[in-house]
Amino acid sequence: MTSSSEASVPSGAARAGASPSTRLFVRQTSGLVRELGIPAATGISLASVAVVNTFINFNAGLTDFAKADMYLPLVAGAIIWLVAMFAYRYLLRAVPRAGGEYVYLSRIVSPVAGSVAGLGIAVVFTYVLSTNAHFAAQFTPFMLSGLGAAFHSTAVANAGNHLTSNIAIAWLSVAVMLIVAALSLFSVRIVARIIFWLIVLQVLAFVVLIGMLAFNSHADFVSALATYSNHPNAYGAIIAGAKANGVVFGTSIAAAVAIIPFMVLNYNGVLYSYYVGGELRRPGRTYLYASAISIGVLVVLWIGVWALLRARAGLTFMQAQANLGLVNPTAYGKITSLSSVAGGLGYGMVLSGDPITKILFATAVPLAEIAVNLAFLTVTTRVLFAQAFDRLLPVSIAKIGERNHAPNVAIGVVVVIGIGFCFLTSLVALGNIVALQSLFFALILLAGGIAATALPLRRADLLATPGLPDDARKTWLRNVALVGGATTLLALFTVYELIAHQSVYGKFQWESILTLVIVLGAGPVIYVIARSVRRQRDALDLSMAMRELPPE
Amino acid sequence: MWGKSKNAKKRELRIYFATDVHGSEVCFRKFLAAARVYEADVIILGGDFAGKAIVPVLTEGGMLRARVGGEDVAVPEAEWDRLAADIGKSGLYPVRMDAAELSRLSGDEGALDRLFRSEIAAQMQRWCDLAAERLDPAVRCIITPGNDDPVDADAVLAAHRRVECPELELCDLGPVTMASLGVVPTTPWNTERECTEEELGKQISEMLDQVPSGRPCIVNLHCPPYASGLDDAPELDATLKPVIRGGRPSIVPVGSHAVREAIKRYQPVVGLHGHIHESRGAQKIGRTLCVNPGSDYSSGVLRGAVIDIARDGSCLDFLLTTG
Repeated sequence: MTSSSEASVPSGAARAGASPSTRLFVRQTSGLVRELGIPAATGISLASVAVVNTFINFNAGLTDFAKADMYLPLVAGAIIWLVAMFAYRYLLRAVPRAGGEYVYLSRIVSPVAGSVAGLGIAVVFTYVLSTNAHFAAQFTPFMLSGLGAAFHSTAVANAGNHLTSNIAIAWLSVAVMLIVAALSLFSVRIVARIIFWLIVLQVLAFVVLIGMLAFNSHADFVSALATYSNHPNAYGAIIAGAKANGVVFGTSIAAAVAIIPFMVLNYNGVLYSYYVGGELRRPGRTYLYASAISIGVLVVLWIGVWALLRARAGLTFMQAQANLGLVNPTAYGKITSLSSVAGGLGYGMVLSGDPITKILFATAVPLAEIAVNLAFLTVTTRVLFAQAFDRLLPVSIAKIGERNHAPNVAIGVVVVIGIGFCFLTSLVALGNIVALQSLFFALILLAGGIAATALPLRRADLLATPGLPDDARKTWLRNVALVGGATTLLALFTVYELIAHQSVYGKFQWESILTLVIVLGAGPVIYVIARSVRRQRDALDLSMAMRELPPE
Repeated sequence: MWGKSKNAKKRELRIYFATDVHGSEVCFRKFLAAARVYEADVIILGGDFAGKAIVPVLTEGGMLRARVGGEDVAVPEAEWDRLAADIGKSGLYPVRMDAAELSRLSGDEGALDRLFRSEIAAQMQRWCDLAAERLDPAVRCIITPGNDDPVDADAVLAAHRRVECPELELCDLGPVTMASLGVVPTTPWNTERECTEEELGKQISEMLDQVPSGRPCIVNLHCPPYASGLDDAPELDATLKPVIRGGRPSIVPVGSHAVREAIKRYQPVVGLHGHIHESRGAQKIGRTLCVNPGSDYSSGVLRGAVIDIARDGSCLDFLLTTG
């Protein structure tokens, strides 16, 4: 009925009486709603990126690498996504419908590879749900401190000080997961409205922060920090303290290169208009413009905010503050109560003179994480659905609730596993969870790159080029493979950087290896078990579900 | 959970069900091949077999000119077969014409409608002949219409000896009886086979009331049951544009209340549905297994469902397939 399959039918050309210039006659049939244009697709892409998450990644870069600066990583991250954008354009052209990497792998590499990747992605997304909850939990002390300042409540402000232990963070993460699960049980429309307003609030906080940094001077910041900290020379004391604790200042190319994976993570979601490829008007063109505009907007925003932070707070101060809070929290706590992980939002809090902006900055990250998790939960449950319909998981997982029309069982499964990951992330040394998350998304990007590279080699038939002479088509297909290959190489570079820096990634201890094995190995293991159990029970063979039908 | 135990009942009937191929030559050929690949006893094409668009191919000075996939294409006339095959793959009808005819069709809805009907009927005739040529004689081939199929096509199906079209009828499949209906509740597009929910409920009941008591049945109803997870589609505004909420197209259930009520009341063994291409899945409503294999016809991919039925008419197992 609906539009997703009208790959080459421009909407509006419908019915008799269509203009000859359209060169297409469409009869009165259901569907034909391919109406999402560039503005809507750009909105979808930008809404998929949590703009305030950049402060989490800035902090990860500053604490994990000496002499960190963000200009090069932000630009390099954008370039990687720009190249990937072209690879995904070809994938979208070949498979013009909602899907994702596992759909591409299914169709282009092999159905089994796609199913296995699908299960892996479902587990990765569940892990991401828990790490997002973890980020929200980490920001809870900062949030309470800000809310306490906004409402002049010492009790609220101090409450955050009791919520910094690992077990407290674990329980806070669980609370965030339960909030997300509870919100997901509402109707789809209500959930969409919640996501929309949470996005609005975090974007508002980001814009207000930019304004505040732009309209205050470096001297204003130093003075405001002193007032906030009740310490006349808080600024200088933090830098001196960091120096005394061995923190190295300055910039280096090596550090900037090593930080690139964090900034790749920053842009995650910016190509997500391809997930609604089925609804885009002229899918390839719309997707390309929407993604390029979104990447451009984000580059300007993030480089702009980084430049402002450097000008107002200073690179040396940012390096000192992030690291002193980590290596010697006691010394840091004696100078200021400003959370060392809050970064730019914390500086905004320092400069803020009114309760409204304090509340905005304090709640930006937790609200952003809830918005991201609500969206992720939907995607994760859909991936689980696909696996259940492929009989790799019990069909009951895809059961829709009769009253709320929500996938209650799938939500329950994801939340239970997510809570497990919450405790693992908080209590077990898994290394840097930002790095681990970067690795997973780099692997997903790698899957997309491989699918694009394999596309002209294995399934050139999916890339129709009517009327193109054979030689020209061969050249065109070669270009597709080259773009796919470039994306694959860039994704591999990102993975290499993560693995090459074990001090950041975390040593290969049994906990981190076990987590990786669980997450990455879940797909093949479940596939083998499901197939074997079905064979024993004389049920339909799973491989039949994925068998290519001969058209002739 | 994963399937039936080894001691369970033996399979008596294997059904292969696909739907919404919308004129795709590749998908129909795959549909015929599915009988052999999945070892099906009956193959069922559950509606919306007709294509949606005609691509006029202009003949000018020994060249063929057309707009395909948003791009202008010009090839020598000798390339007609290849160009037509490329266009036909995704369910579009390539029709050769000159500029005068193109201009006439652009201003004459009646002529265009007649052209569509003739193209669809011709394609259906070709497909039925192909079924006769390629299918094993033991395999039953059932094709029923959906809301997007012109009623004229029913005559082609009814007249062909190799294909069955039990629309609005009961059909004996051995261990089960099948009831088929391609009509759907009113859509914003005012298609050929639509009616109110009340009328739809009445038509379904009139069929299912004829099923002998205790006789297991399956239903082949083009529209999926409302809010079943098999009917999720983008919400549209008054101008038929997708509604965006929270940075995503809003997805809402658009299935039929009447179908849902009928399934709850009669509890057939299996419900075979289509209509909503992107809502591929399987759900249980009471004891009924409802299946919508979805559709990806424009990519030349045939989505389907294999369903095994036991001698007593119970459903043994099912698989959604992508071929």
